[in-house]
Order: sequence, then C-alpha cells, then structure tokens
Amino acid sequence: MTKRMVFVDTSLCTGCKACSVACKAWNDLPAEKNQLITSYQAQASTTHNTWTYISMHEKYENGKMEWLMFKHQCYHCAEPSCMKACPAEAIYQTDSGYTIIDQNKCIGCGYCVANCPWGVPKTDPELKKTFKCTGCIDRVENGLLPACVATCQPGALHFGEPEEMKQIAEVRLAEVKKDFPKAQLYGDKAMGGTTYLYLLKEEPAFYGLPENPTTSASLVVWKDWVQPYGIWLIPIALGASAVSFVTTRIINSMSKSKGGDIHG
Amino acid sequence: MDKDRVVRFSGSARFAHWGHTVTFLVLLFTGLILFSPAVGRVLAPVFGGYVNASTIHKVMAVFFTIIPLIALVINFRGFLDWWKDVFSFGKNDIKFLMKFPLEFFGFKVDLPPQSKFNGGEKMNSVITTTSCVLLALSGYVMWFKDAFSPTLVQWAYPIHGICMILATCMVCMHAYLGSFHPGSGESFWGMWKGTVRSDWAAHHHAKWYEEVTKSQN
Repeated sequence: MTKRMVFVDTSLCTGCKACSVACKAWNDLPAEKNQLITSYQAQASTTHNTWTYISMHEKYENGKMEWLMFKHQCYHCAEPSCMKACPAEAIYQTDSGYTIIDQNKCIGCGYCVANCPWGVPKTDPELKKTFKCTGCIDRVENGLLPACVATCQPGALHFGEPEEMKQIAEVRLAEVKKDFPKAQLYGDKAMGGTTYLYLLKEEPAFYGLPENPTTSASLVVWKDWVQPYGIWLIPIALGASAVSFVTTRIINSMSKSKGGDIHG
Repeated sequence: MDKDRVVRFSGSARFAHWGHTVTFLVLLFTGLILFSPAVGRVLAPVFGGYVNASTIHKVMAVFFTIIPLIALVINFRGFLDWWKDVFSFGKNDIKFLMKFPLEFFGFKVDLPPQSKFNGGEKMNSVITTTSCVLLALSGYVMWFKDAFSPTLVQWAYPIHGICMILATCMVCMHAYLGSFHPGSGESFWGMWKGTVRSDWAAHHHAKWYEEVTKSQN
C-alpha cells in the first residue's frame, strides 16, 4: 500500500474525545480510572491502554478565554527513534508509513518508551509488552478509515494520500492564520516527517510539544557508534590475549633452550 | 604464618573480587542480550527468554552493588590503602606501562620496582572501578526511569554500553594476565588464597615487599 497520511486540524477540534473512545472500542482497550488534571482534562499522557487522547489548553487574551485542543497519539515518524532503540527488532515500518510494534517480538524493555521524543509508547507492567497507536493499520490496509478519523464529528481528522492531505493543510493554514498569526503546520519536519500532520493554532511549545524533534545525540552515540564499532574492542582484547598466550610460550621455549627462563 | 609467603589480599578484598567476578559475568551475558539484536537471538534462550534474563540481570545488579559496599564497610582501611597506592602514580608506573606491552607478548624486559600494585594494575583499578560505578548508576537510572529526567535516561543507555565495553576489555586482559600469562604465576594465588610466594613478591612488587618485610621486623 502506498503512503498514507492523517491530517489533524486542531483548529476544528472541539475536544469531544470521541476519537479516544472510538480507539478504545476498535482496539478493545479498557477504560482507565483517572482524575482531573486541569479544568476539563483527565488524561495526562498516553498509556498502554489509552493510545489517543485530547489535551485541552486554555488561552487567555484580552480578558477572553479560548480552548486550544491537541490530539495525542503515535506520530508514525519516517525515522522513528523507537525503532532505532528497540533491541529486539520488534518495531517495523509499513510501506503505508506506519510504525508498528510486533507484540510477538516485544520484550517490554522500555527502550522505545525512553527514546520517543513525545513519550508515546508505554509498557504494560503486567504483560511486559509495550503498546501504542497502531494507526489502525488493520482497518487502513483493508480500505477503512482509522477509527479516530471515522468517528470525528467536527471534521478535524482527514485521511488520504500525503499530497492531498498537505494541500488541505495549506488551505486551512492560510485561513486559520487570519485569526491566529502564530498558526503553523507541525510534524512535516519532525523525525524525517510524520504520518500524522498537524495544524496548530499556536507554536508547539504552547501545547508542551518539542519544537522540532530529531534523533537524539544519545541514540546516535549508542546505536551508530558504540553498538556497531565500540563492541569490537572486546574481541580485540580477547585476540591480544590469545596472541600473547602463543608468543609468550614460543619466546619462553626459545630462551629456555638458550638457558634463560621467564620468571613465574 | 608460612615464612615463604606474604599476605597480599585480605578476606574482604577477595570476597569483593570474586563476588564481582561472578556477578559481573552473569550481568555481562544477560545484558548483552539487549545490547544488540543479533546477540539477543543467540543468548536470550540460554537464560530462558528475554523476560527471565532481565529479571536475572536486575537481581545480579543488586548483588553487584552490595558486594563492594559490604567489603568497604568491613575493611575500610584496606580500601584506603588500595586507593592510596593507586593514586601514588609515579615515574616507575609510567615506565612500567611503556615497557609492559613487550612483556605482555613474552619479550624479556627490565621493569622498574613496583609497589603493591604495578602501573597496569593501577590503570585496571581506575578503569574498572569507574566503569562499575557508572554501570551501576546508569543501570539504576534505566531501571527506575520514571524517577529521572528523560534526557538523563536517554544518555544512560550509551553510557551503560560504553562502560560495559571498557570493563569487559579490562576483565578479559585481567583474567588472562592473572591466569595463563606465564609471567604472572603467583598473582592468581594472591587473590585466591590471599598469600603469595615471597620470592615472587620480591621480584614483581619489590617496593611493596620491602615495606611488608620492614613492618614485620
């Protein structure tokens, strides 16, 4: 399947949370007990049982309050840090642009959890498996819309070809910019480009999002230097010992025949 | 005490050494499983799968942390003496380090008189101890990642890997030098029985032997 894209138009989101419910319904995820953390928001982050949720941000200007919404789920990056960090080769990408955790291979080590710039994947402590949004790959690859997109009432979620989505996004950006001068697209430059493209009414920091996340330096050091090259120091140390084992004995026997001896 | 032998390592030092030997090796092989997928495929089944290996790794990590701390409490004096000697790094140690590679491969060289720990042992003490401390710290950061900042947790992974490599290299050379290297003969018994032959001590650690015999007379 060719590449697909979801356009999240946060300017149209009403914060009804139907996407979160539809996600749980399709993916058979139980409801969780939680508490209000702000005036309307009860979900603090994704969990192993909540793969998408809306964060609600209150903006005050000239004595007026406005709601800004943001839909959280896996961004399905083109260059996913989670996949790079996974030591079990349990994370793979599809041609359609989705980053998927193979639950048969996942060992729940949490390396992806620590290295996702948005902290999306979460490990189930009992199952010892890590879960996140699958992009409804099972629906998408069978001609259905992702559950969240299918259920969105205000039309804040669009699904289709990347070019088509980007066009819609540009048109919407021009409109929203009239009222929100800081409005911008988000995700197209992050982690090689994300499958979930956003239109934000404010800058990313307002929503608590990293400005322009890239593969972290620690992950590059770990996976591109230490793992492929650094590890060879160990065979070198072993090899040097093996060489010494042979040469010490050769030299020793040679000097013995001449009457000398290496001390013991 | 046997006249021909001198005490080299106390009981607590030997307990810490061999305790760390066992725990380090188990930690190394259970940890390598997560170092690279290729190693994991081979080693994970040996420990009964990834989840079991990670449980063993965590249990061993606790012993790895506790063992040197116990030795430290029991014999703090010995610990101080060790580090006093390690940090009295002088001309003889540098000469030793420069000439030792030849001796390592079997060539006969004249090495300057050494204290209780020779230049190489001093380097080994510094590198393995630093690696072990960093391994433990970065390990606990990864284990309890919710308690630390995301950036610190992310850096814990490469630090754990780098220190594992450094420590393992030192362990490989150290194990070989303490066992099959013909020039080291008695050093194994120093750590196993606690005592070494006097003539060996006089030859390999002349400065130390002099001190020991002086204090005994």
